[in-house]
Formats: sequence, structure tokens, C-alpha cells
Amino acid sequence: MNMATSICRTLKLFHETTWHNLKHVVVPIRTKKRFFIPPPVNVKSKTQAEQMAKARASGVVIPQEYMERAINISCTAGIFDPYIPPEGDARLSSLSKEGLMQRTKQIQQTAASQLAIRKIKEHDSEFSTKEFAVRAQEIFIEAHMALTQFNKEKLHSLVTERCYPEMVRGNRYKTLHWRFIESLEPPRIVHARCPDMISKGNLYGQVTIRMHSRQTLAIYDRFGRLMLGDEEEPRDVLEYLVMERHLVNPYGCWRLHGKIVPAWAPSKGPVIKTVMLPGPLLKPGEEFESLNYEVPKPKPVQWYK
Amino acid sequence: MAAFTVTANGGTFLSRLIGHIHSRFVDPRTQVACLHTSAVLHTKNWERKNRILYPPQQKDEPPRPAEIYHSRRQIKYSKDKMWYLAKLIRGMTIDQALAQLEFNDKKGAKVIKEVLLEAQDMAVKNHNVEYKSNLHVAESFSSKGKYLKRIRYHGRGMFGIMDKVYCHYFVKLVEGMPPTVEQSTAFDQAKEYVEQLKKRTIIYSL
Repeated sequence: MNMATSICRTLKLFHETTWHNLKHVVVPIRTKKRFFIPPPVNVKSKTQAEQMAKARASGVVIPQEYMERAINISCTAGIFDPYIPPEGDARLSSLSKEGLMQRTKQIQQTAASQLAIRKIKEHDSEFSTKEFAVRAQEIFIEAHMALTQFNKEKLHSLVTERCYPEMVRGNRYKTLHWRFIESLEPPRIVHARCPDMISKGNLYGQVTIRMHSRQTLAIYDRFGRLMLGDEEEPRDVLEYLVMERHLVNPYGCWRLHGKIVPAWAPSKGPVIKTVMLPGPLLKPGEEFESLNYEVPKPKPVQWYK
Repeated sequence: MAAFTVTANGGTFLSRLIGHIHSRFVDPRTQVACLHTSAVLHTKNWERKNRILYPPQQKDEPPRPAEIYHSRRQIKYSKDKMWYLAKLIRGMTIDQALAQLEFNDKKGAKVIKEVLLEAQDMAVKNHNVEYKSNLHVAESFSSKGKYLKRIRYHGRGMFGIMDKVYCHYFVKLVEGMPPTVEQSTAFDQAKEYVEQLKKRTIIYSL
């Protein structure tokens, strides 16, 4: 007779199952374990081939993992043939002679832009240069208001998939307060292109709009402390927005695709906190002051946001 | 089968099984949700504390000090031995804590130092902390991780279950200098005691 009174396993512990899994669980009764078998110690000396053979022999099937990456075709991945804003764009007023010359040069847009606009009008009959600029500014304002409230669905409908991560990155644990005060100049279309991706005929329309406006921005970090900007101080901002639409798609809509930051743009200004930049590696006897180290400044290059 | 019996050493095995008698044998559909149906062991609550977003402060309020929570799980060390190191650095500035751990001979000191450096790095990069030395250790403690069980062979066919111990280590860094604890001398304490004695009155007296 069995004298050892091991506790019979009439009770099974559901330690890792959630409420849903408990529906299909079968409670085992009378699984009386007589002796204790420890789990096998992992022997790492087995080679990969031996391990795979053993797994196959025991009947363990590992499903194949396909390394797939979803491609989004509702927007392009960049700005094609970008607009290079002329230097001193907002510095000259329209009334002076140089300003007038600049204006006339800008108004006779290049042939490629005219062609592109004509192509867009083929696909979208309601496209008009004057109305579109105003509509683009409205989309811009709505998109940034959605960003401050972080309304994901609305933001996705107003902004392309390429622009969305650039707007949202790093902002999840920050609070943004943004206000559009007024527009100093009416927005204008300055550039248009119609690239076709992969196959001929798959047209996307990219239109660049120049707008000069007054805005307020204040960014607070996770703890509610001011990180950047000021709530009450308005700043004059000259921006070049790129709007995109998948022309061939009848349900496509014009969405914000990116921003062009010209090479001559003024620097944004310092953040409120002090930041430490990595300096040169010093040898044991050297001192930093005697090195005459100059902090490297970033090169003024046009980049796209 | 009946003759083969294995007795555990010290009866620890049996007592542990006896302790597990809960009323889990009830039909799950009729069981009311109780505390133990939630997965208490597998929640990473400490890491979640880094995701709390506070509303922006007004200009007249004092600035809220930044709090950074960091942890490391399943460290191959004993939780009791780790406690000594955690207690050592409680309340120190981060530089002082790093210095103490660097010259400490215990195995856990190296691990805790790595955790503190990671947390300091995270604070500067992600949580908008201005000066990396302006942090102090507000909370620091260790807890039990998931143990692996092995057999420890004794004489006469007896065995014991050996636990391969693991522990978790948690730390909370707060920006600013650590709060100063007022050290009261023996004389002050004695004076307070005498004053307490003098303050006594007899109630309902004339």
C-alpha cells in the first residue's frame, strides 16, 4: 500500500489563464503524482541541427514566420523635385522694386508646374489655384488643432502617412499648446508636380503652398513644465507646405504631406534647458580650456519635414 | 507502484502543496471575479509609471520635480542580499550612489550601478531632465523574481528542492537634492521628553 501521503491532485491551479480561457478548460481529477520530477536543465551543448531534428522527431511544429512589411500606397514616400524657395523671400515688401521683380518671377511659374496643374485639373475638375491655397491653409490649421488634442482619426484623414510620424514622434508624453493667430499674407501656390510611382499612370499630385502667418506655440514636457516656446508670444512664420493627393483614386483627398525648410531659414532659438553636447576625447594630461575647441555648427541645407 | 514512495525532506514539499488549497475547483462560470483571477504576477506596473502625463503647470506654481522609474527583472541574485545594497543607496544623490556601488564588492552592486546609469541616461534623453547630477534616489527596493527549481540530493535517497533564486530591482530617481532629514541629538530628544512630562495635566481637576 502506498504509505506516503502525497496530496492528491484533485485541485488544479489556474494560474495563468484569463477569464476567457476558463470556458474550455477541463479540470483533471485524480492525477496523483507520486514522485517529483524536476524540469530538465537546459543543455546548451546541442547543435542547431540536432535540436531541429529532435524537435521534428517529437512532433513540435514551429510555424514559419514571414518577414513582411506592409507598404502603404495611398501616399508617396517623399517630396519629388522639391521647391527651392528663393532667398530673402519674406524680407522684401511687394511695394519696392526688387520685391515687384521677385513677385513677377514667382507669378510666371515654371512650365513644369503649369503642366502639373493642368494634369491635376484633368483628374480633379474642381481644382482652382486660388481656392486651393485657402483650403490648404484650413487643412493645415485643422491638422495642428487635431495634433494638440491628439485626435488620431482626424489627424490621419488630414495628414498623409508619411507626414504623420514626423508630426507625432516624441509628442506622446508631451502637451502641445498651439494657436493660429492670423495670416499675414494670403497663401499662394508656388510649385506643383505630378510624379507617377512604380507604374505609369499611377499619378500623385504634390503642390507646394507658401504661407506667412502668425502663430503661438508652447510645448510642455511630461511633468507640465515649459520646454519650448511661450504661450503668449506670437511669432511670424513663413512656411512652405506640401499637399499631396492620389489623383487616380476617386476617393483621394488633399492631405498635408510635408514641409520644406529652406537653407536660409533663421534658427529656431534655444530650448529652455541647457543641453550637454559631447566634446572631444581628452588625453590624460590635456585640459579642455587649452584646446580652443569650437562647437561645430550645423550646415545650412534645405531639408524636408 | 505502491511500494515506491518518495518522501520529501523536511516536509516542505507537502506543506507547500497544502498551502495551495484554494476553492478553484468551483465551476468557472459561476465563480465571481475575485482578486486572484487577475494576473498579478505578470503586470509591469513600475514601468507604466513612466507614462503618466501631468497637465501643464501655471506660472505661479513651483515646478514639479521630474520622477523617473526604472527596474530590472530576473537578476540572478538573492532578494535578501540585494536588499542590503538597495538600503545602502536609499536617499543618496546619484553620483554618491554610483561611487558607493563602484567600490562595493558584492555581485549585485554591478547590476544596480548599470540600472542607475540606464535610468540617468533615460532621464536626460526622454524625460527632460536638465542636469544629470541633479537626481537623487527616492525609492530603491528589491523583490522576489520567478525561481527555477532543481533537485538537491541528500544521503539515504532523500532530496530537497533547490531554488535557483532570482530577484527584481526597482529604483525611482527624482530631480533635485534629497530631502534633508533633521538629525536630532540626544540632548534635544531628552529635552522634548522632559517637556512632554511637564505638559501633562489632570483632567476634570479643579
